[in-house]
Amino acid sequence: MSDDEKFRSLEMENRQGFWKASLNPWLIRAKNNPERVAFVLHRVTGFIIIAFLLAHILETDSPVWSQYAPINGLSGWAAWTYIMGIESAWWARLGEWIVAGAVLFHALNGFRLLLTEFFGLGIGKPVEPKPPYEAPTLNAPQRTWLYIEFVVALVLWAFSAFLIFG
Amino acid sequence: MALDIEAATKLPPKVITVRVRRYNPETKKIWWQEYKVETHKGMTMLDVLLDIKENTDHTLAVRYSCRMGLCGSCGVNINGTPMLACQTQVSQVTSNARPVVTVEPLPNFPVVKDLMTEFSDFFNKHRSVKPYLIRKDTEEQENPKGHLKMNPEEFIDILQFSNCIFCGLCYSSCPVVAADPEYLGPQALMYTFRFINDVRDEGHKERFAIVDSEHGCHRCHFAATCSAVCPKAVDPAGAIQGLRSKLFKYRLGFFKKKSSEVLSAPPEKGERVPLPPEATTLPGVDLKQFEKEPVVIKLPKE
Repeated sequence: MSDDEKFRSLEMENRQGFWKASLNPWLIRAKNNPERVAFVLHRVTGFIIIAFLLAHILETDSPVWSQYAPINGLSGWAAWTYIMGIESAWWARLGEWIVAGAVLFHALNGFRLLLTEFFGLGIGKPVEPKPPYEAPTLNAPQRTWLYIEFVVALVLWAFSAFLIFG
Repeated sequence: MALDIEAATKLPPKVITVRVRRYNPETKKIWWQEYKVETHKGMTMLDVLLDIKENTDHTLAVRYSCRMGLCGSCGVNINGTPMLACQTQVSQVTSNARPVVTVEPLPNFPVVKDLMTEFSDFFNKHRSVKPYLIRKDTEEQENPKGHLKMNPEEFIDILQFSNCIFCGLCYSSCPVVAADPEYLGPQALMYTFRFINDVRDEGHKERFAIVDSEHGCHRCHFAATCSAVCPKAVDPAGAIQGLRSKLFKYRLGFFKKKSSEVLSAPPEKGERVPLPPEATTLPGVDLKQFEKEPVVIKLPKE
């Protein structure tokens, strides 16, 4: 093993990798850091939305592809009706509700990220560093927006439950 | 992480158990080892590690230098949080209900031995963003004739970022570095912003070209853990968002760089006109009396 390979293998041992870093908000336990929770939720909801989008394309396209690969011997509009029948089941509705929550959170958080990342709004201005050394961005308006967005997403998610199950 | 000032006044548990994640590069073995340490008031985690090294186990490898949070050598992962061992009180991370503390090497860095990590990747990334003043007039930069103008507000803009001690805590806590080893990391991007913010600097085009890449500032996801663990409130997360918004403006053609002029040089000795003696003496001092009885102060010969 060459020195460079040795270095790389050592490096990978102590690096948590994509999945652990994207799915576990407490992989690094830092105080005063809800942004990390928002980051992991944003990524997880992104995965949920992509999965839904793929399923949605398959579902709307079913009259076409079922002609080549029939479901339960059904093809064309009969296959479409069959899939619609599956989707009225309780677990499919539950999935729909989860997708609704994912979209709500992803959209609201995405709006906050657009403001901070593209326009530099809501982040702290540089200050003279003094003990106890608290980073200004962690007390800036973006933190308030984050809390508002959590609350609004939860309220709208609860409302969407009435629309889906009611 | 913000300093826990009150923790120094609290009494830690009398005996604590320290679990250290150890690594031997010769046998490539990783294991957890437990040590019992007697504590005292005001004891830091670095004191604990040095106590182990002195009295219990001489083979434990720890890197440290200044013991007061200035050099940034003693960064370790304490109870899952990257911290400077010298700035962490034992009473801050343990309690009487749970007198156990785990110490690991910093994540995202290759481990050399036990708690020592390899920083060459980190420093190479720091060097890659050209962390020095770049002037268009290179002749003036090599042989300066005067100071560069900068007002106190402009100084505050870069002071916070200049406080970085290169401890690597931000880099170790970043989820993007964990996923993408090529990512420049919070520290290097923060330093880019520091020089773009600097009115004396004129190399913003070169730096924008470096960070405007796949592994540059667009990779950041604003998890802000870098700012949460920073021991000096350098705030890399805010700096990266500022850098991105400036890059966004730059790409649209709206970015205007503040520039600084060279101040004129101070006058030569001969040009200076001394003030009249009345202007330099305190009220109540009689100059005529002073001429009669001068106070002679003998200065040592050079």
